[in-house]
Amino acid sequence: MKLSYRWLQQYIELDLSPAELAEALIGLGLEVEEVEPLGTDLRGVVIGQVLEVRPHPNADRLTLCRVDLGDGAPVSIVCGAPNVAAGQKVAVATPGTTLLLTDREGNRQHVTIRKTKIRGEVSEGMICAEDELGLSDDHSGILVLPDDLPVGQPFTEYLYRQGLKVPDYRLEVSLTPNRADAASHIGVARDLSALLDRPLQRPDVSVPEAGGEVARQVQVTIDAPEACPRYVALLVRNVQIGPSPLWLRQRLAAIGLRSINNVVDVTNYVLHECGQPLHAFDFDRLVGGRIHVRWAHTGEQFTTLDGKTRQLPEGALLICDAERPVALAGIMGGENSEVTEATTNILIESAYFDPATIRRTAKALGLQTDSSYRFERGVDAGMQRWAAARAAQLIVEVAGGEIVPGVVDVQMRRFEPRTVTLRLPRLARVLGTDIPTAEVIRILHRLGFAPTLEEQRLRCTVPLHRPDVTEEIDLIEEVARVHGYDRLPMPDAFTVPARVPAEPPAQALRRRVRTLLAGMGLREIYTNSLLPREVVRHFVPTNVTDHQNTAAYLVETLNPISAEMAVLRPSLLPGLVQTAVYNQNRGQQVLRFFEFGRVFMRTDRTDTPVPGFAEHEALIIGLSGPHAPEGWDVTPRLTDFFDLKGLIETLLDTLHLNDRIALVPCDSPAPTASYQMNLVADGRVLGTLARLSDTLQATYELRAPLYYAELNWEAFAELAYPAQQHRYHPFSRFPEVDRDLAVLVDRDQPVGPLLETIRQTGGDLLRYVGVFDLYEGERIPVGKKSVAFSLRFGADRTLTDEEVDAHVAAIVQQLQQQFGAQLRR
Amino acid sequence: MQKELEALRHAIENTPIDSEEAAETFRIRFLGQRSGQITHLFKRIREVPPEERPRIGQQLNALKRLAEQRLEEARARLRQAARPRTEVPDLTLPGRRAFTGSLHPLTQTLEAIVRVFEQLGFSVAEGPEIEDDWHNFTALNFPPDHPARDMQDTFFLRQGASYRDAVVLRTHTSPVQIRVMEQTPPPIRIIAPGRVYRNEAVSYKSFCLFHQVEGLYVDHNVSMGDLKQVLYLFARALFGEDVRMRFRPSFFPFTEPSAEVDIWWPLPDHPEGGQWMEILGCGMVHPNVFRAVGIDPERYTGYAFGMGVERIAMLRYGIEDIRLFYENDLRFLEQF
Repeated sequence: MKLSYRWLQQYIELDLSPAELAEALIGLGLEVEEVEPLGTDLRGVVIGQVLEVRPHPNADRLTLCRVDLGDGAPVSIVCGAPNVAAGQKVAVATPGTTLLLTDREGNRQHVTIRKTKIRGEVSEGMICAEDELGLSDDHSGILVLPDDLPVGQPFTEYLYRQGLKVPDYRLEVSLTPNRADAASHIGVARDLSALLDRPLQRPDVSVPEAGGEVARQVQVTIDAPEACPRYVALLVRNVQIGPSPLWLRQRLAAIGLRSINNVVDVTNYVLHECGQPLHAFDFDRLVGGRIHVRWAHTGEQFTTLDGKTRQLPEGALLICDAERPVALAGIMGGENSEVTEATTNILIESAYFDPATIRRTAKALGLQTDSSYRFERGVDAGMQRWAAARAAQLIVEVAGGEIVPGVVDVQMRRFEPRTVTLRLPRLARVLGTDIPTAEVIRILHRLGFAPTLEEQRLRCTVPLHRPDVTEEIDLIEEVARVHGYDRLPMPDAFTVPARVPAEPPAQALRRRVRTLLAGMGLREIYTNSLLPREVVRHFVPTNVTDHQNTAAYLVETLNPISAEMAVLRPSLLPGLVQTAVYNQNRGQQVLRFFEFGRVFMRTDRTDTPVPGFAEHEALIIGLSGPHAPEGWDVTPRLTDFFDLKGLIETLLDTLHLNDRIALVPCDSPAPTASYQMNLVADGRVLGTLARLSDTLQATYELRAPLYYAELNWEAFAELAYPAQQHRYHPFSRFPEVDRDLAVLVDRDQPVGPLLETIRQTGGDLLRYVGVFDLYEGERIPVGKKSVAFSLRFGADRTLTDEEVDAHVAAIVQQLQQQFGAQLRR
Repeated sequence: MQKELEALRHAIENTPIDSEEAAETFRIRFLGQRSGQITHLFKRIREVPPEERPRIGQQLNALKRLAEQRLEEARARLRQAARPRTEVPDLTLPGRRAFTGSLHPLTQTLEAIVRVFEQLGFSVAEGPEIEDDWHNFTALNFPPDHPARDMQDTFFLRQGASYRDAVVLRTHTSPVQIRVMEQTPPPIRIIAPGRVYRNEAVSYKSFCLFHQVEGLYVDHNVSMGDLKQVLYLFARALFGEDVRMRFRPSFFPFTEPSAEVDIWWPLPDHPEGGQWMEILGCGMVHPNVFRAVGIDPERYTGYAFGMGVERIAMLRYGIEDIRLFYENDLRFLEQF
């Protein structure tokens, strides 16, 4: 919404500068986004008379004018306007005058007029157009003034006589949806009157009584009373349609509106003055002199005055004459009844339309107008007659004619002001301070709530322009914003609750693991939870035949703004792969990432926060590229599965989970994996470690294999959290004994079971077992491999060699029996 | 004999031992089993009168210890000198490094925000990103025809016969307020960080999702002064002690009075030296919200606030395009 600084001054005595005004409005909750000067103070602009016009000798489009400025010494001025003519009274900017002018790029700049030569001819000033004077955007020609103006008089005196002061400023205000009352100059002035404690000055209007002559000439019927509870009509006859006077054009231009003609301009003026949208019909084009308000029929079309034929949505409200629609109620008039140059009789419509009806229709048509903007927020239901009368009066003033006595006022519903009580102790409790009762009363009075004090309560009558005020808290807000949020005191001390806040396990552990992973050289990423359908298709094939069709479990958005955001991620893997590809394609080789984020599935379960939908937090870790940074004596190899597995093992170790979570090879890897291991705890799969499938690697043109681990973070954290509160175990201070053991086994014999057997056989004395070498080839029989284990034995006493030897022998024997292992000597 | 002993002591003390050869010569000369001078004198002890023999014997023994000691010291010194010196490598060669990791700037910002409130006694609560109409809208006092319920602004996952059947991607973290208040009686003091969604065209200033931190405090006699205080403490902790802050009236369905909070952001190139930047929205919990969760608004009052993590991160780091956060370009990530 746009406001004019000077226009506001018509309704309240305002000694604030435009910048101070903006601050004041922001403090009231009317967010000023921009303050724009529309011109300069025009000092140095005088009224002149063109004495003579002749062509410029060196330029086709320019003329040389001799202009009398009243000082007896006519000056020569080069002028480019097409409409300049001898005898005209014009506004002349004399040398030294500063104007706000638009340059060729459309930027506005302050320019000081100087005596100069234009194409060889002297020019001692500038004959101004309206835009150069900051009065409107009109640059079609110079401003031609009335003939009776005295030559030499300052131009500002002429403006002043018409109620115009310069410079004006345009304020761009962003209104919150609750403040319908402030969608006009008077509405904003009302807030200022409460802030500054000054009276609001509304224009004097004689509002006619309902009925009278006009009721005999116009018939109004309403078939949609819920959507149009009130309709007011006034008639003005014998008007002369023409251009608007300068003051009216200036006001509209100041808020960015184009002047149409004097009658239409008045309706727009009154809308922005008091917030009541009006429409002017050419009364003679209303068949039968009738107004009929009804719902649109299904499939009905209507041509609005912008010339567009619109398919009306369901629930659109129409204003019709005896035969046909003539306006789309509350949004835009019709082409068939608009005011034209030939119009002589005007019907002024001033109605109250239901906000929801207008909002739905405007939205469905994608058509927001100054009128719909106000109706959909809720206009003052008591304002219709005043606004119509104000407009009629102004039309007569600028377009002549006479008002037909009386007014048609059809009311289908009575709007009664509500009563809301404000308890002063409650006000103090919510705001945390005592505002003097006199100030509270003053604020509510200026805002129109007519408060009356009864003990510690203020009984308020809510004016009809405040449909948003329905209960006590609304009044508290009114008092608070006018008193000033910045003036509410803050307590001296801060109280904390008498208990230390608990940290949820998932979060406590997430913080820890994030830091660990960053320390392990991984970069944290944040990827989009919304995925394009074709990306998801790569990761969740729709033709899964073995078990259920997982695609059916995807959560899709019903209304994505683009196909990019169609599906909620069922896994963090697509985001990881996309990140890897993105960076690979920008020359990066080291691709080490992790992400914490939520993943989503449909479910048959009903115990989730929203039945039918399930989500949980997941953690993904991805590695690809060199296993270590390059160096002068380090030649990196490609990361492989065991880099990932080692990272996970280290993580489990750090979190004391190595004996609670097992890594188990998976015989049926997911379609996204070439091979896979599962993280298993108590028979439950908490996550997977895998190499990305060859298909996906090829699809995404990843040059190096990608290894990933994805965990159900919530399940993992639940298990891991208790492990963080572990107890200390006394350790043995006796020396430990190290032994190495190398065996030959079949080449395809997995090492895991060997380790398991060693652990079981080694019993309590075996403190550690590791694999330190794996070898096949020379000196090893074909089809065999050598596996070398390092063992460490210990106890709460000094072990003898015999004891250790016996254990090693038992281990060797078990390995022989179970795996046919031969001891290598 | 006594004279010879004196001469021998002098020789032992003053014979230089400056090499392994000299040490061996010294050993043979004084301590040699066959012809060493000390050995020689021991053999001649019979020439001394019997009563002097013990004294001479002691002196000879002392000389022997002296010779041995000198020899040992000299050999230790020679070993020390003979040991090879540690070579100094080219210290300017680069070190062998591990890969550098990092936390995402949104994590760092979110943690910075959450830590401040944790210190102020707030505990962290989290809620689902898929929400129903009740928690995302109705219980938060959104009227049935509020524009936010419109398809143009919100991602819908399900729509039923009534607006109440709708399932959406939460448009704010405020539903966590409702979930907590439904389950916990006051006093409540929580902070709820999380991801939220808006069905908006993606541009440098808006993305289809972003992150919020929601705060809620409900107790007897919580006032707007308390709200201003906690946010002022927060702003000082995050933006510095001399931060300038502005509360201005605004509108949200679930709070009243409502406010938006701006901080003054100095910009050297700006004609006014800086500008007000909005960082959060807040207000006193609307009585209708309390009624929806069964808390008596006459007994309890409360405040709530919510801020955008991206917005604050953009301010902190001087980032001008919100999409950078989700692009995960390493050239971006490695700066944090």
